[in-house]
Order: sequence, then C-alpha cells, then structure tokens
Amino acid sequence: MSTLRTRTAAAGAQFLDPAVLGRIGNLELLARTVVDGFLTGLHRSPYLGFSTDFAEHRPYDPGDDIRRIDWRLYARTDRYYIKLFEADTNANFSVLLDLSASMSYGSHSLTKLDYARYLAACLSYFSSRQRDRVGLVTFDHEIVDYVPPSMKHLDTILHTLDRAQAGRPGRLDEPLLNVTELLGRKGILVVISDFYEDPDAVLGAVGPLRARGHDVIVFHVMDPYELSFPFDEASGFEDLETGEQIPVIPGKLREDYLRMVDAHLAALKKRFTDHRIDYTLLDTSRPLDVALFQYLLARERLSRKR
Amino acid sequence: MSLGFLIPLFLLGMAGVVVPIVVHLTRRQRRNVVHFPSLMFLQKIPYQEQRRRRIQHWFLLSLRALALALVAIAFARPFLDRSGSGGIGSGGPREIVVLVDQSYSMAIADQMEQARDEARRIFDGMGPLDRASLVTFSRGARVVARSSSDRLRLRGAVDTVTVSSEATRYGPALKVAQTILEESTLPTGEVYLVSDFQRNGWSGDEGVRLPAGSSVVTVPLGDGATVDNALVSDVVLPRQIVGGRERITATARVVRRGGTEPRETSVALEIDGQEIQSRAVTLEPDAATAVTFQPFTLSQPHTRGTVRLSPDALSADDSHHFVLSPGSSLGVLAFEGARAAGEVSLYLRGALEITEDGRFDVRARRGAAVRPVDLEGVQAVFLNDAQIDGASAERIRDFVSEGGGVLVAMGQDGTWPASAADMLPGTLGAADDRIEGRGGRLGYLDYDHPVFEIFSGPRSGDFTGARFFRARRFEASDSAAVLARYDDGSPALVERRIGRGRLLVWTSSLDAFWNDLALQPVYLPFVHRLTEYLGGRAEPVPWFVTGQVVDLADPTALETAGLVSSEAAGLAEGLEQVALRPSGETTALPATEGPRYLPLDEHGFYTVRQPGSEPDRPFVIAVNVDLEESNLTRIDAAELALQIEAPTAGPGAGPRLGEPAALGREDQERRQGVWRWLLLLALALFAAETALSNWVSRRTDGAARAAAV
Repeated sequence: MSTLRTRTAAAGAQFLDPAVLGRIGNLELLARTVVDGFLTGLHRSPYLGFSTDFAEHRPYDPGDDIRRIDWRLYARTDRYYIKLFEADTNANFSVLLDLSASMSYGSHSLTKLDYARYLAACLSYFSSRQRDRVGLVTFDHEIVDYVPPSMKHLDTILHTLDRAQAGRPGRLDEPLLNVTELLGRKGILVVISDFYEDPDAVLGAVGPLRARGHDVIVFHVMDPYELSFPFDEASGFEDLETGEQIPVIPGKLREDYLRMVDAHLAALKKRFTDHRIDYTLLDTSRPLDVALFQYLLARERLSRKR
Repeated sequence: MSLGFLIPLFLLGMAGVVVPIVVHLTRRQRRNVVHFPSLMFLQKIPYQEQRRRRIQHWFLLSLRALALALVAIAFARPFLDRSGSGGIGSGGPREIVVLVDQSYSMAIADQMEQARDEARRIFDGMGPLDRASLVTFSRGARVVARSSSDRLRLRGAVDTVTVSSEATRYGPALKVAQTILEESTLPTGEVYLVSDFQRNGWSGDEGVRLPAGSSVVTVPLGDGATVDNALVSDVVLPRQIVGGRERITATARVVRRGGTEPRETSVALEIDGQEIQSRAVTLEPDAATAVTFQPFTLSQPHTRGTVRLSPDALSADDSHHFVLSPGSSLGVLAFEGARAAGEVSLYLRGALEITEDGRFDVRARRGAAVRPVDLEGVQAVFLNDAQIDGASAERIRDFVSEGGGVLVAMGQDGTWPASAADMLPGTLGAADDRIEGRGGRLGYLDYDHPVFEIFSGPRSGDFTGARFFRARRFEASDSAAVLARYDDGSPALVERRIGRGRLLVWTSSLDAFWNDLALQPVYLPFVHRLTEYLGGRAEPVPWFVTGQVVDLADPTALETAGLVSSEAAGLAEGLEQVALRPSGETTALPATEGPRYLPLDEHGFYTVRQPGSEPDRPFVIAVNVDLEESNLTRIDAAELALQIEAPTAGPGAGPRLGEPAALGREDQERRQGVWRWLLLLALALFAAETALSNWVSRRTDGAARAAAV
C-alpha cells in the first residue's frame, strides 16, 4: 500500500485534519490556524530570519556568529550583544498549482484540489510570515492565473486560491515552460499536482524549473481511492479530464492497477530525487502537517545551504 | 398479391437496428458510472480492450434488432395487396348489390332458377375484400343479406329467394341499392340487376341516382322471345233477385297477349273450390273476349269464387278470385208531411225501387210526426216536405246519433222546430223563386264526397241539365259541409255529422215541382248513391290486389272487404285472430290497441278466424295479382342502367371516382391489421430480451465478484 500509511502525524496536530479544515471557509483564517498552530506545536521560533530589519538585541552566547555582535552597543555598554533582525525577504516563494480536471476528484469530503488549495494557502501564509515574496501560478493545460511574487500579494494569492476551480484537461510541459519564463528570479517553487503523466514527461516539465536554479519542492496529491482502488461493483469508469468511459470490473483489475500506480509513484520519486527535487506524496485523507514538515525541512536545508 | 406498405417512410426506422449493435459494441455500463481522475492506468490493461470490442451476446443482440425492425415495419402499416385478385373490378374492393326480381312473372319457364344461378355466380366472383348484399324485389324491396363478405351466407340467402305474387317495381329496389352504396366505405359500387325487365316496372321518374363510382350491370333473364300469355283481366258479378233468391251472372274478360295463331282454351268457374261451369273459347292473338257463365245462386256468405283459365306460361294471372255474400237490403223510410202534396215522393220511391238486386227496402209513410216504430229497421230516412215537431226531431236526433242517415227535403211546407235547430247544418229560410230566365242550375258539386264521387269521371252523369226554379234559402253554418251549390252560390245540399250518423238538407224538393232533376237520367244514380250514403252502406269489394293492406280493426274496412258473417264480427271488436294465407302459412293478428293490418301479398284466398275456431263460413278475402305484371313487354336494360347510373365524366362526378386506389390500400390495411400483431410480437421480444439480459448481467456480475474474491 502507500508509503504514507507508515507515516505518523506530529503530536498535537490533529486539528489539521483535512475534514476539519474543510469546514473553514476562509482560506486566510485556515492558513493562520494551521500555520500558527503547527508552529506552536514545534516550540520553535518562527522568526529566525535573515532579514536586515533590526528587531532586538540579546546577550551573546558562545557559538553565535561574531559577525552579528553589535559593536556600537559594546562600545557603550562594554557587553557583547547580538543584533537580531526581523526576518527579511530573502527569497521568492511561488506555488505552482495544478487545476486540471483530475484534481477535482475526491472520494471523501475533500477533493484533491481542496487539499492542494489548503496546502498552497498554508505554505504561502507561512512563507509570508517568513518575509518571503509569495506568488502563485495556477495552470491546467495553460496558465490560468499568475500572481507575481511579492510581499503584498498574500491576499491576492488567497483570493485566487479561493476561486480556483478545476475543470479542464491538464498537462505539465507547456504551462511549466511558461512559468520558467515568467519567474526570472530564482526562488522556491512548490509544485502541487497529481502528475497523471508519464514520469519522464513529468520530469521533462518540472526539470527545467530546477535547471533554471529554482529550488523545487513537489507535492504529489493523491486521493486514497486512487491509491487503494477499493471499488467492487462492475461500473463504467469515466475519465474526468477526457470524458472517456470504459467498463471496468474492479475485482479483476485491482491488482494490475495498484501495481501500476506503485510503479508510477516509484518512478516519479526516483526521477525527482535524481534531479534533487524534493518529492512528497500526499494522501488527501491525511493531515497537512506532513506537507508542512516537509516544507520546513526543505527550507531548513535551503537555509543551511545558504 | 404482394406485400405493400401504407406508410413506407416509417421503414427508415429500420436503421434503428444498428442502435443495439453500436450499444453492444461500445457497451458502457450505464448502471453505475464512476468518475475517476484518470484512466491512464486502467486503459493500459489489455483485458478491457478485448471485452469492449467484442459482441458477447449474439442472441440478445438479435432479439433487440428484430424487435426494433418489427416496430418499424408495424409503423409502416404493412398489408397484403390483393387488389389484383379482387374480382371483376380493379378499382379496389367492391360493394356489390344484387337485385333479384321475384315478381310473379319470374315464374315463366325457369327464370327464377336462372336468377338464383346468376346471383350465385356473382357471389362466387367476389374478391376477398368485396362485400355483397342481396335484395329481392317485386312491388317493394327486401334486403335479404346486407354487406357481407361471407359467401356461404350469401349463397344461403340466394336459396331462399322465391317467386312472389306481386308486380315488378324497380324503383324501391334501386333506392335500396342506392342507400347501401351511399353508406358503404368501399370505393367501388356495382349493382347487379337480375330481372326479366318488364317495362311496366319502370316509369322513369323514380328519382333513383346511384352514387358516383358505382355501375349497373344488368342481367336479363329469359330468351327475349314474346310470351303467349292469356289472363283473366276482370270479372263482372251482377246480381239479380229471381224468385226471392239472389243470382249472380259472372262474366269474365279474358285477354290474350302475344301469340300468332288463335288458341283454344277453357275458362272455368269455381265456387267454393268446386268447378261448376266451364267454357271453351278461342283466343285471338293480342285480343280480348268476354266469357259469360250461367247464373248461379248465391246463398251463403263469404262464398269463394274463381274464374280459371287453362294454365299457360304465366299461371298467376290465369285465375281470378272473388268473394261474394248475399246482399242485404237497406231499410229506407220516405216520410211525407201531412200537408204535403200527394205525389211528393213519387219520383223518390220510384228511383229507390228500380234496382236489380233489391238493395233498398223502401217504406213510405205520411203523417204529422215521426214515431219510434217508423225508425225501426231503417238506416236511411227521407223527410220529404214534412212538418217536424219537437218530439219527432229528438227521435231523429237519437236515430242519427246512433248511425242513421237523414235527408231533409224542405219543399213547400216543410218545417223544422226551433228547439232542434242545432241539428240542421245551418239556418233555414223562406222559399226563393228563381224564375228568371230558365231557372237556376247546380254550379258546384263536391266530387270528392261519396255521394258525387261516381259522377266525377267524364260521361258519368250530368247534373247541369237540371233546372231549379225554387229553393229554400239556407245559410250554412261553419261546421256544415256544402256538398252542392246552385249557380248563384246558395247551398243546394248541406251535410252535418251528428254522432255516428249524418243529416243532410236538400234545399229544393225531391219531386218535379220545384226542379226537373227527377226527370234527368242522373236522378236515379244520384238517389241511389244518396241513399247508400245515408244508410252507411259500403260497397263490398269482391277482391283485392296483392300489395293492398286490410285493417282488421276498422269496421268500415271490413265491410268494404265483404264481411257479413256475424261469427267474424269479433274482428272489429279487438278479439285475437289468425289469418290463413293462400300458401298455407298463418299470420297471427293479436288483439292489440290500434290498427291490425293484414298485408295481402299472396294471391288466392285469405281466411280470417279466431284461433281454434272452425266456423262454417269464415271471413274470406280474395286477392288477385296485379295484372300490370301480365304485360311482359320488356324495357331496354341498357337504357334503364343509363338512367340510374351517375355521370362518369367530369370533375363533379363525385369524390369516390378519384380515389379508389388509395382507399383500397387503406381499406385492405385496415381490414388485415397486421401492424397490431407485429407490435405485439415486438413487445414480446422486448420483454424476453429484458428478462434475458438481466439474467445474463446478474450471472456475469456474480462471476466477476467470484473472480475478484
């Protein structure tokens, strides 16, 4: 079965249950609730930024970067103080959200698109709190909405996410190629999609973003039914994107289907990993904390790298 | 015979047969559609590809396709076009009307058998969609079988056709045919007229016009040769009283039509079924002769008589039947006033006594008043110049009310009491002299009245020769009927009905003093008719003619028919009766309110009696054939057909001529109704297919689940 099943959510993060989040209509409220709660659970300061705006002083502790010692204050007080700053905007953060029709699928209260929107809202809010410039690109087989990265665009992003709807067939190569052209400055790109394309084609679309120097984090959103195929009754299965319908006797196909899905996921993971792209498979029935953890890990890694 | 379609456009619906095939090939599970993000993986499984493209249930597919095809064919309204085998006509099914003449002239040779054969041949030639009617006719028409396509029934009806005793009349039969054709929905009408085509049966003004689209086929019978036919055209039965017994001298008029050479034949007189006399006569071609028999004594009421010729080709007119009863004299009272002149009733009595058969029993009386005894046994009373007092007037009123008849001839001294003035049909005035010139004359006579009816014909009596020099003025009341007027318009003879009787006023005198009518030849028959009318006597009719009807509840009609037997008086009193017809059949005449008609449609003697009774001399009615039928002159059949057929050309020829083919197809389709059966079959196939497909589907799903487990 899916690898997600082996994961466990962080303690105290049950309020991030997608079913609960689905009842919160306001995306900003949702994002604030998620992010603040999540961070509170972490007991870590969210304000460890790299901005240049002074925030406060604190006594020097051994191990602190001596470059951050306020020498002027030392001259006046003869004590070592470390100069702390408000987290500064040090990166462009953009969410690339797939609005293809397949994202509208949901076997329970949340569709994949809902889940992806919550995730995008939370990440944008989180990044905004980190003083990043936040932007948003929604696409299906072309770019649907583009919100350029900016510190002031959180509201626009949330609004755009709020009205985002999935309905058209989607593809990755053309819209992501255009994104490459739109986003000239390097930044953090979060790609949220269900990646119903051949793994090589997916990498062919996402890879150029990485090649342009962006830090790319991929969230692969899947519904639990897509991962387990629990259907029993012989039915006609209709493709949400193409409308094509075929008769299916699930009992006969389940094994083949699950084998092919696992192979697909494994191929994606391998392709992305090979290209140093963070890849995370998200089950829409699981809380958002997995994604947020993954993001924070990625940011931490990136900050260390800098 | 070929298969046709009324609405072939619906056959395009057969293209719908491909629908189940396409559905079968692209079979989608419409019961439960699951929307899935992508079929990327499912489509890669080869198993589905094979299942989707393969026809799995050929039998189900065939059922669906067949049912759809049947529905399409049913809507196209198929039928077997049998117009090519529809018989003689080719314009679609025909409404055939066969008119078979059954007049008694059809008894000549084997004409009736020929007619039956022709009718059978016509019915045998009917197409399967044709309908036929059989109508027999003589004086009237009778529908034996109406609009039937059942040949057996029609042939059976033909077997019942027999010769009647009536004459030929084409009009009623053709009108029946006209009605049948007008009410028919078939496009073509054919009227077969099977007859010997006697000219007397067609006057040309019957007003028959067959509807458009119909034709007349004449089927003349016989060889067309002139038939030598002798008949008894009339019998005269004068009565004489000889030695107090009534004797009848029968004289028969025998007519011969046709023939080329003189022919010897015998004429016999039968009384009560027994031949009492026979005469041999020589009949010249197309000539007539009178045969007088020796007088025979008439002693019994309802005596049946027949004058019979030797049988020839047409036997029905060879005999002439009559019924006689001894005559009974009419009691007449000639009453004169005490002051009247002595000869005031001379001419009246003389006229009443001059009869060969002593029909009047005249009593004369002179007096001041009419006594009750004077009116006993009297049916007619002449008050001639009488001075009537009040009591006498009341007696006369009672007498008239009970059915008697009174003639009041005022004369010079006649008076009428004022107390009984309401009995008179008007107001009596003084005598009025008309001595200017040559006197007055009778200017108006009501020839419709029984008194003057016999004078209506030419040379039947001349009243204009009589001159009237004096008459009493008389102003007729509104309820009175003026039967005769003088040339100045004043009434001469006025009638008023009182109760069951009648009272007449003669404003002049019955002798030769005020007028010279008594000296005119017309005086005798006038007085006789007047007396018979006053006495209410109806002249018995010795015989009737076929086709006439007698009302057995009408006393007058019975008297006219010669009823004298007291045993048969119950006829007029509402008793149940039965009539024995000449053919031996009986006709019940139940005692009901209103008229009881006995139609006389056979020639011979009808015997009427009460059921179960055997009277010695039952009431008998003699019926003879209509001698018009004896004239066997033929009419040109084609000419007759032309007169009754509708014009065949022109736009106004009628709607049915223009659309026989279309109507024929519709009618064939409607009669066959194949579409109903096709629809029923299609429904059955759909039901079977539904049940079968459900069963197959359940079995397939079960197998799939079992495999999944």
